[in-house]
Amino acid sequence: MRELQLSLNQTQKVRLQRALEKLESLSSKANSNASVTVADSIPVNYEDGLLKGHGTSEFNGEVVATVCGIVERVNKLVYVRALRARYKPEVGDIIVGRVIEVAPKRWRVEINYSHDAVLMLSSMNLPDGIQRRRTALDELNMRSIFEENDVICAEVRGFQHDGLHLQARSQKYGKLGRGQLLTVPPYLVKRRKQHFHHLENYGIDLIIGCNGFIWVGEHVQVTDDMVVDQVNKSEQDDAKPDENSISPEDQGKNYTRQETRENICRAANAIRVLSTLGFNITVEVITETVDLSTSINVAIHEMLGSEFYVLVAEKESVRRSMTKKK
Amino acid sequence: MLQNKSFVKRTRGGKITKVVREHYLRHDIYCGAPICKVCDTSQARLSPTPSTILIFDTNVVLNQIDLLENPAIDDVVVLSIVLEEVKNRNLSVYNRVRALCSNSLRKFFVFSNEHHKDTYVTEMSGESKNDRNDRAIRVAAQWYQSHLAGSARILLITNDKENKRKAIEEGISAETVESYVRSLSRPDLLDLLVQPASEDVNMEEVEDLRPSKRKIIYTEHKPMSEITSGLHRGIYHQGKLRVNRYNPFEAYVGSESIGDEIIIYGRTNMNRAFDGDIVAVELLPQDQWHEEKSLALADEEDEEEDVHLVPGSADDAPWTTAQPPGSAGVTESISSRPSGRVVGIIKRNWHSYCGSLEPMAMPAGSGGVAHALFASKDRRIPKIRIHTRQLENLLDKRIVVAVDSWDRLSRYPSGHYVRTIGQIGDRDTETEVVLIENDINTRPFSSQVLACLPPLPWSVSSEDLANSIRQDLRQLRVFSVDPPGCKDIDDALQCTSLPNGNYEVGVHIADVTNFVHSDTPLDDEASQRGTSVYLVERRIDMLPKPLTEDVCSLRADVERLAFSVIWEMTPEAEIISTRYTKSVIKSCAALSYIEAQARMDDSRLMDPLTTDLRNMNALAKIMRERRIQRGALTLASAEVKFQIDTETHDPLDIGMYQIREANQMVEEFMLAANVSVAEKILKHFPLCSLLRRHPTPTREMLEPLLRTAAAVGLNLDVSSSKALADSLDSAVADDPYFNKLIRILATRCMTQAVYFSSGDLSPPEYLHYGLAAPLYTHFTSPIRRYADVIVHRLLAASLGIQKLPAIFQDGTRLTSIADNLNYRHRNAQMASRASVELHTLIFFRKRPTDTEARIVRIRSNGFFVFVPKYGIEGPVYLTPRGDKEGGEWFVDEQQQKIRKMDGSMSYSVLQTVFIHLEIVEPQPNRPKLQLTLV
Amino acid sequence: MEYVSPEGLRLDGRRPMEMRQIRAEIGVVAKAAGSALFEMGNTKVIAAVYGPREVQNRSQQLNDSALVRCEYTMANFSTGDRMRKPKGDRRSTEISLVIRQTMEACIMTHLMPRSQIDIFVQVLQADGGTRSACINAASLALADAGIPMRDLVTSCSAGYLNSTPLLDLNYIEDSAGGADVTLGILPKLDKVTLLQMDAKLSVETFENVMQLAIEGCKAVATYIREVLLENTKQLEYRRGI
Repeated sequence: MRELQLSLNQTQKVRLQRALEKLESLSSKANSNASVTVADSIPVNYEDGLLKGHGTSEFNGEVVATVCGIVERVNKLVYVRALRARYKPEVGDIIVGRVIEVAPKRWRVEINYSHDAVLMLSSMNLPDGIQRRRTALDELNMRSIFEENDVICAEVRGFQHDGLHLQARSQKYGKLGRGQLLTVPPYLVKRRKQHFHHLENYGIDLIIGCNGFIWVGEHVQVTDDMVVDQVNKSEQDDAKPDENSISPEDQGKNYTRQETRENICRAANAIRVLSTLGFNITVEVITETVDLSTSINVAIHEMLGSEFYVLVAEKESVRRSMTKKK
Repeated sequence: MLQNKSFVKRTRGGKITKVVREHYLRHDIYCGAPICKVCDTSQARLSPTPSTILIFDTNVVLNQIDLLENPAIDDVVVLSIVLEEVKNRNLSVYNRVRALCSNSLRKFFVFSNEHHKDTYVTEMSGESKNDRNDRAIRVAAQWYQSHLAGSARILLITNDKENKRKAIEEGISAETVESYVRSLSRPDLLDLLVQPASEDVNMEEVEDLRPSKRKIIYTEHKPMSEITSGLHRGIYHQGKLRVNRYNPFEAYVGSESIGDEIIIYGRTNMNRAFDGDIVAVELLPQDQWHEEKSLALADEEDEEEDVHLVPGSADDAPWTTAQPPGSAGVTESISSRPSGRVVGIIKRNWHSYCGSLEPMAMPAGSGGVAHALFASKDRRIPKIRIHTRQLENLLDKRIVVAVDSWDRLSRYPSGHYVRTIGQIGDRDTETEVVLIENDINTRPFSSQVLACLPPLPWSVSSEDLANSIRQDLRQLRVFSVDPPGCKDIDDALQCTSLPNGNYEVGVHIADVTNFVHSDTPLDDEASQRGTSVYLVERRIDMLPKPLTEDVCSLRADVERLAFSVIWEMTPEAEIISTRYTKSVIKSCAALSYIEAQARMDDSRLMDPLTTDLRNMNALAKIMRERRIQRGALTLASAEVKFQIDTETHDPLDIGMYQIREANQMVEEFMLAANVSVAEKILKHFPLCSLLRRHPTPTREMLEPLLRTAAAVGLNLDVSSSKALADSLDSAVADDPYFNKLIRILATRCMTQAVYFSSGDLSPPEYLHYGLAAPLYTHFTSPIRRYADVIVHRLLAASLGIQKLPAIFQDGTRLTSIADNLNYRHRNAQMASRASVELHTLIFFRKRPTDTEARIVRIRSNGFFVFVPKYGIEGPVYLTPRGDKEGGEWFVDEQQQKIRKMDGSMSYSVLQTVFIHLEIVEPQPNRPKLQLTLV
Repeated sequence: MEYVSPEGLRLDGRRPMEMRQIRAEIGVVAKAAGSALFEMGNTKVIAAVYGPREVQNRSQQLNDSALVRCEYTMANFSTGDRMRKPKGDRRSTEISLVIRQTMEACIMTHLMPRSQIDIFVQVLQADGGTRSACINAASLALADAGIPMRDLVTSCSAGYLNSTPLLDLNYIEDSAGGADVTLGILPKLDKVTLLQMDAKLSVETFENVMQLAIEGCKAVATYIREVLLENTKQLEYRRGI
């Protein structure tokens, strides 16, 4: 059994237990018997044209699951949605990844998929924003765009013969700086319309990659004709209002306000807590969790203490029962 | 059902390691009382309405096992913790308790308290292991008390004062063994009680106020730790103590660290060690090495029957116990033999012993406890002090006594009475003693064993005939030749002339494995017994009587199943082909050796059977000749034959067993069959065949023979079996018995032939020295030897008839079976010898005789003689008793002569003397055969 | 030595047909794609699965199936005497291979071409039956990692001592020198993927022992499925919609 590796005292244990039980009761009605484990047979009525999808196989005329997960049925298609599995890319997914190799005309990006993804030099907008053929010079200057270990944001373009291709044809994609990368199990992230979020209250950006990589960083103004200098300028603009309140040695090009940094950490810890508890990660839940932490004055480091976990679990159970009622 | 778990810490070896073991506590362990309403009573062992349920603590079980074995003690709950402790302390007691627990007649129930959820106790801090175990016993007793709530009284029997006090405090009724036995008002049971050692000392002091008796007689045994380190550093030597059969004051310890035997002289140096104990020995300084002589004929005051009969047949060369006590040249060599003293006993070999009480006057205040000395029949065992309340009953009885302790203050070990066998001198009693001493199981076969027998009356069925593996040989002229009156006929012969001038010779052996299947109770029992035992007046069967005498026995004119070895032989006795098959035969005649011999000798008889006999005899002679050419030894033994009165079973006459040509003929074909089978099974199962080997004797073993031969001017070549055989053949003198005597002496120098598993040794070691055969096994007597049963299975498996039973896969099992067979075989031999000895004694009781004897060994105060007519060997004293070193006689080692100082008389080895045989009773109830010079 | 008392209890109080207590826990290694802890009595094994991921050594890449790798180690503290064992000794190489082959038999490697799956198993406490425990732990960890499998492999050992077939030998019984059969089966497909025995047994006895081992494997399978199903359900309800 999966157990939280937390040191809880007795009351916390009971509270957590109760909250989790409540969650269970809330969801149990929805799809109680849909969970299967490996080699469980899936009951199907054998009407004609049954389509066996992912996570299924056939044995002795039965449809058998090959992974642990939830049985989903869409028309004639039966498949098992694996929970804890690696990311399965779909075209158009917005993902966050990390550059692991700079290769001729391409970058290799680790995106929590079973293979590394490829971002072609030709599939991304050049910093100068001009649409043109990529020259040899561009190729030589690839490292000035992304280097190894840079965290980038991109979109899944599709499968080609040599693997999964990404594209970054908008200014909102590209290199991410001054923030934290968090990895959560991909099943906790739902595909939505919007994956880029600007939490204005906290002055941070939140990119919830479909692959379970979540970026929490300082807010960046996105303009289509943005150039490197402008980015710097805007950062400086952001920094200016508080210039007097901070010490001179922290001033510099890459300066981020302490408050923003704290907010980044707070949001990051909120995500950590949520992912440890195995709760769905959406921008609403994240902001609520962050709000909860600030409202009860929990210090950032205490957010990873057991008490906060229990609080979040309780809060989540309340929240879900509310949405349920609606 | 399962509960977890407790941890046991343990240290072992030099390093300290923490060992964690799981320990499951269970709900499904039942109390074993049929009255219980809660528990599953299907396994219940206790009586339906027990008045008292007894629980014994460890020490009581360990010490009072003889009491527990008495049927008066019943309804006992044996706790597993007690069993475990007993097992660690004394394995033989453990086996006896286990036997009790599995005996369906006794109501002993094993309660696994250590795994019961309510009776398991964890060790408390600061509590010793013993205290914890005592507490566990009390907890279990308490559990029983509340579990059976009043329907039975639970009584804890403990001799530990502290334990008893605590038990009573906890509300458990507890008693000591003695008070419990007293409460049974059975005075005879009190004798079975073991006196605690501490009391022993007190009693000694009270009893013998003479200061000399109170002194410490033996040096203290070294503590185990010191022994271990001593062994490690090479100061001490470990080995098994073997006491000289002829002289109980001399013992040998075979030590591997020295590579030689260490001699131990005298009881003081033996320091309370018994024969068979594993001891630690310290070497004495070299100048003390020859302080005592082993030359004298053993004659302490407890000198007893010294009659020693010579071992059996040629195949079973004798088993030499220890080194034969020193002989010629000993004075020189003895100083080079290390002697030592026992410093500690690593493992005791105590068991119970048969014997009788030393005659003594009845104590004045009879009825009370008397102290008596018990002398074991086995002279190697020292006398044992016992207490008894029934002295008058026991004085003229053979009794069994067990040893309890031997402390430093007492000259003799103390023990307790176990049971009475019967009147001394009574033939049945003495026979029983022989059987007990040789560990021979005479119990009737159990019902489970008898259930394995085929339905009786049995006859060959049509299925047997239809079976394709079984060849129908009923039309063949098969006959058997055995000793007169033989009922267990396990071999039959056949010899048919073939058109091409050759002979088809068949050896048909009773197909015992058709009835004795492996892994049945019958098979287990047979494998335990190992062999049938032949005593003078009775036979103890290995297989139940219906099998032995009827179903398997190849009697005349009935169809019987057989396992056959069939050769095609040329008239020159060359084997052309060999085949093995299961068969059905019908013997046409069961001849005795005498009959067969008579038929062969009677030239008027020309019937087919006689012709077959003659043909076979001719073949056998050639085979025998060839075998001797190869170097087989013709050894002689002094087997005797009694004529027994059919009414009284007393021996009427005694004489040497006569060997005829017919015997040799049968023997020859049996040997050939055994050799053929050995080759066959070894070929198929090189790692798990059961074979028989006879190791080549070492030069030292032949030394006494050479010395004797040299003394009479005979030069024996012992370089090989062939050389020895030849020189034995040439050892002829004008005296007709001389050659046989030499052969008898040679036989004694050989080691015992043994069974072994072929996987345990390398092929060169398979050699059978006496038969000069590279391979040999036993195949021909499956009715009376278990080894043959195994070989039958092997042969059947090698022919693909049957599957090989599982035990053959298990090398260690096979080795242990072979060891058991050797042990049983040896015991059976000893028993039949002892039986012969016993009957000799009975025979001479009424017939004092003068006869001719030959001197076989010279001693400083006399010599051993061998009486060819009766097969008796015994000592003849030249000097009166007590006068040890003689004085007027001296021994000439070179010449093997004993001479009077004045030179007026001398006796030399192999010389013929006339002696008088008479039974004397120096002490009442102790008859012995005395040999005196005429 | 008496390994089964006449009362039918083994040294640790079990009956011959009983297994030790088993316990499994999923998700014990945070960084791994899948992980599990498996206990059979005092034998405790941890397994972690990484992947499927890009093949590290391109030359080993398989174009039609996934590359499965396995590493078995024993923690220094896993046995009574703390010994520093050299990594990659014969025994652990052998067991690594055994586990790899057993797991390969059940992973649907053809679904993940050109990728690599790493299985790391470590014995934390050894008390006999480590091989079986490792396979069970690895099986759980693979299921946790969401790697498609034909069936769960479960394993159990059985032996033959004192003429009695014994299920799930512990260390003392294991070192008694009797036969020790380690069996791995695919319970649903009813197939054997692993069978090892280090002594001789007659065919009949072997069949009995093997049957017992099969029973043991099935019991392990039942338990493992329960654990996995419970785990899946929890993940699902915790995640919410």
